[in-house]
This record gives sequence, C-alpha cells and structure tokens, in this order.
Amino acid sequence: MTNSNPTVTVAKDLADLIPVFFKNRHKELESLRGALAREDFEQLRHLGHRMKGVGTSYGFTTVSEIGKRIENGARGSDRNAIEACIGEYADYLSKVQVVYE
Amino acid sequence: MSKVAGGRNAPAAQPEYRVLVVDDDPDMVGFLARLLQSEGMAVETAADGASALSLVDATPPDLVLLDVMMPGASGFDVCRQLKGDEATALIPVVLVTSLEDSESRVRGIEAGADDFLSKPVKREELIARVKTLRRLHDTRKELESRRLTAEVQRKEAIRKAFSRYISPRLADRIAEAAGEQGDPFQGRAQRTNLVALFADLRGFTRLTEKNEVGEVVGMLNEYFGILTDAAYQHDGTIFNMAGDSLLVGFNVPFPQPDAAERAWHTALEMVGRFAPVAAAWHRRLGLDLGVGVGICAGEAIIGNVGSEHYASYTIIGNPVNTAARLMQMAAAGEVLICGPVFERIRHLLSGHRVDGRGDVALRGRSEPIPVFAVQAAAEASA
Repeated sequence: MTNSNPTVTVAKDLADLIPVFFKNRHKELESLRGALAREDFEQLRHLGHRMKGVGTSYGFTTVSEIGKRIENGARGSDRNAIEACIGEYADYLSKVQVVYE
Repeated sequence: MSKVAGGRNAPAAQPEYRVLVVDDDPDMVGFLARLLQSEGMAVETAADGASALSLVDATPPDLVLLDVMMPGASGFDVCRQLKGDEATALIPVVLVTSLEDSESRVRGIEAGADDFLSKPVKREELIARVKTLRRLHDTRKELESRRLTAEVQRKEAIRKAFSRYISPRLADRIAEAAGEQGDPFQGRAQRTNLVALFADLRGFTRLTEKNEVGEVVGMLNEYFGILTDAAYQHDGTIFNMAGDSLLVGFNVPFPQPDAAERAWHTALEMVGRFAPVAAAWHRRLGLDLGVGVGICAGEAIIGNVGSEHYASYTIIGNPVNTAARLMQMAAAGEVLICGPVFERIRHLLSGHRVDGRGDVALRGRSEPIPVFAVQAAAEASA
C-alpha cells in the first residue's frame, strides 16, 4: 500500500465519466481475481495492459503503475506478485478520493 | 458495435472535423471522445476493427485514433486495410498504444500509420497531435479545392474557346478530354479518314453588288447562323468560314462512325432552314439565293497549319478539295456527293430526286470520280 488515503485530481470536464470509470475498475478487480484463480496469465497480462493505458489518462497514476506490475508479473507467471498487486489495487480503490479542478 | 458519442459538448450541426475513436476499452473511448469534443470536433466510436471499417466505409472520417491491442483484428491490421484502400488511404491514422518497444512502432509505420500516441494519453499531447493533423488535413483539402477550381476554370476556358468553332456538345467533350488525353486540337498533324462538307450561297455576288455593306453583313450573319446551327446540330466541326462558304468536317477530331450520315443530315438542315429566309429575301429584295453543298469522304491531313504567330486548325487533302469543287458545281438547293458518301447514305435518299452525273473530271483530281446530285430542297419543302 502506497498511501492510506490517496487523493487524485481530475479535470472537471471528465467528472461525469468518473462514476463509470470506477464501476469498470471494480469489474476489472473481479476479473483480475477470477483470472488469478484460473491462473489465466494471458488474461491477467491483458487486464494489466489495459489498466496501464487507462489509469494515468484519467489522472489515476497508481492504477497504471499497478497495471504495469500485473502485466509484468503475468509475463513471468508470477502468481504471488500478481496476488499482491490485486490486493493493493482493491485497497486503493476502496480508499481513493477524487478532487475535481 | 458502434455508436455516436453524444457527449454534452458534441456539436449539434454538421461537424467540420470528424474523428473516429477505435478502442475496446470503453473508458479510453470516453476519455478520448471527451477531449476531442471539447476541441469542437465530432466523434464517432467503435469497439473493434470490424466495426471501425464499417463506419469508415459508411462515412469516412477526417481522422482515425486507433488502439493497437484489440480483440479480433489488431490496430495494425485495421490501419493496413485503411491505407491499402484507395478510398481511405488518405485518412490520417494515429495509433494509440501502450506498446513501448521500437518493434511495435516499426510495425505501425509499416502498416501506414501517420502518427503515434502513447498510453497513458496526455491531454496536451493528444490535442497537439490532432490539431497538427487537422491543419495538414485542412491544407490538403484547400489545395485539392484550389486544384479542382483551377481544373474547372481551365476546362471552361477551353470549352468557351472552342465553342465558337464546334458544337457545344463537342466542346464539352473536348473540355472533358483535356484532363485525360490532352488537348485534341494540339499535337502533330495526322492523316485520318473524314467527311468534308462545303456549303456556299448561290447568288452571293449579286447580293454584295446590290446592297449596302451593313445590310450585306447582317444577311450573311443570318445565313451563317443557320449553317453553323445545322453543323452543330449534327456535331460537325467548322474548320473554315470565308466569304460565303463554310467548311465542316465530320469524324474529326473525335471518331463518328456515322460521319457520312451526319454530313447528309447537316446538308438537309442547311438547305431546308435557309429556304424560308431566302424566300423572304426574294420578296423583299428580288434576289434569288440558295445554298449549294458538296460532300466528299476520304483520307486527309488534320492539324494546326500556319506559322508561329498564326495558325489554324484545319483539314487538307483530296476530300476537302473535291467537296469544294462539288459545292461550286451545285445549284441552289442541290447537294453534290462523291461516290463513297453516296453509298453510305443512299438508304436515306428515298423521296429525294437523285441524278447520277457519272464519272466527273474535277480540277485537281487525276481521275474522274462518280458524282451524284441530290435535291435537298424538295424534301425540305415537302
């Protein structure tokens, strides 16, 4: 865990997209857990790759960072590393605060 | 799957600049669409390559932002298809990718991508790249518009220039051909088979002797107006107008398989349409006037003849000379025709009085040629 109460600043004109963004992140979290349970590393790599692309675009740098680690972990079939990333991701999503500017 | 990204900032009217965003991640699509819409652009979206190609086919956008890693066809595949199709090759494609290795960039370049954008996407970079491509797009459109305008003006100038000598239909054809085959009135002189028609005014000398200059010119203008209209009616090309005579060519400069028939119909129109005018002049001035026509076919030279300073597009050769001699021999209302033309049009001559003159020795021809005299005026007044 990098921060107990992380705060992210998002551009105002993206505000109405953020609820859907979080809804999709929570779906993503479930997909990650499912893929890990199946040890579907190709799916994990794909999901990590997507997180890497979308996170920082909206301002959520941590999402991209975790995504990159999941992608790398999937390439090396590193189950433990991915499991740790998923836990970190779940914690982050439960705590992150959004500020609009 | 495809949809129009409605967004609150989407322009309501017909947009100026349309961007197609292709990505299987709905959050990326929403993000990119929102940024582009905030810049006043219209956005359409597709979630996969097949949908994107359908949308491009239906309404080609001005720009495509294309994700690389998608289910089904990859961004590389879609880009390659767009660039391989003549109809879509000029649409700029920006590959949006998290792939950072140079091999992926090379693949993108090989697929024909115009630019790359890295994920995560930075707002400023996206806008800057799209604006640059838009400027290029606008410049290209402006240049294309200017080129088309210049082309239209050039063709219109050609059409106007030649419409004094040929029928409006032929002038249009020449203007059309000017862009594809070059000017048919230019280039080297060449031999070609043609039908030459000469027409002149019987009684012209008396007309000039007995009337004021201004009146003569007015009458000649009316006479030539009738003859040129008749020539244009049948897509003849007027090569010469001198004194009271007119030289019209057929099968030149464009092929006319029915050139002999066209020449015959032209002669009929000339004689028939001038008849009431001649009758009016007769009543008013006591003059006996009528049109005499000579028609002959054969091989002649066609091209620009003259000097550097003055040249005319003309036809030279036996059929032209023979048509001139036949015209001189023709009485008012009479069409004198050489043998080959007669054979081509004899099926059209029922109802006309035809006199075979036998083989006639004409000045300038080494051997006599068969000549037929056809009364055109009788048909016209029937």
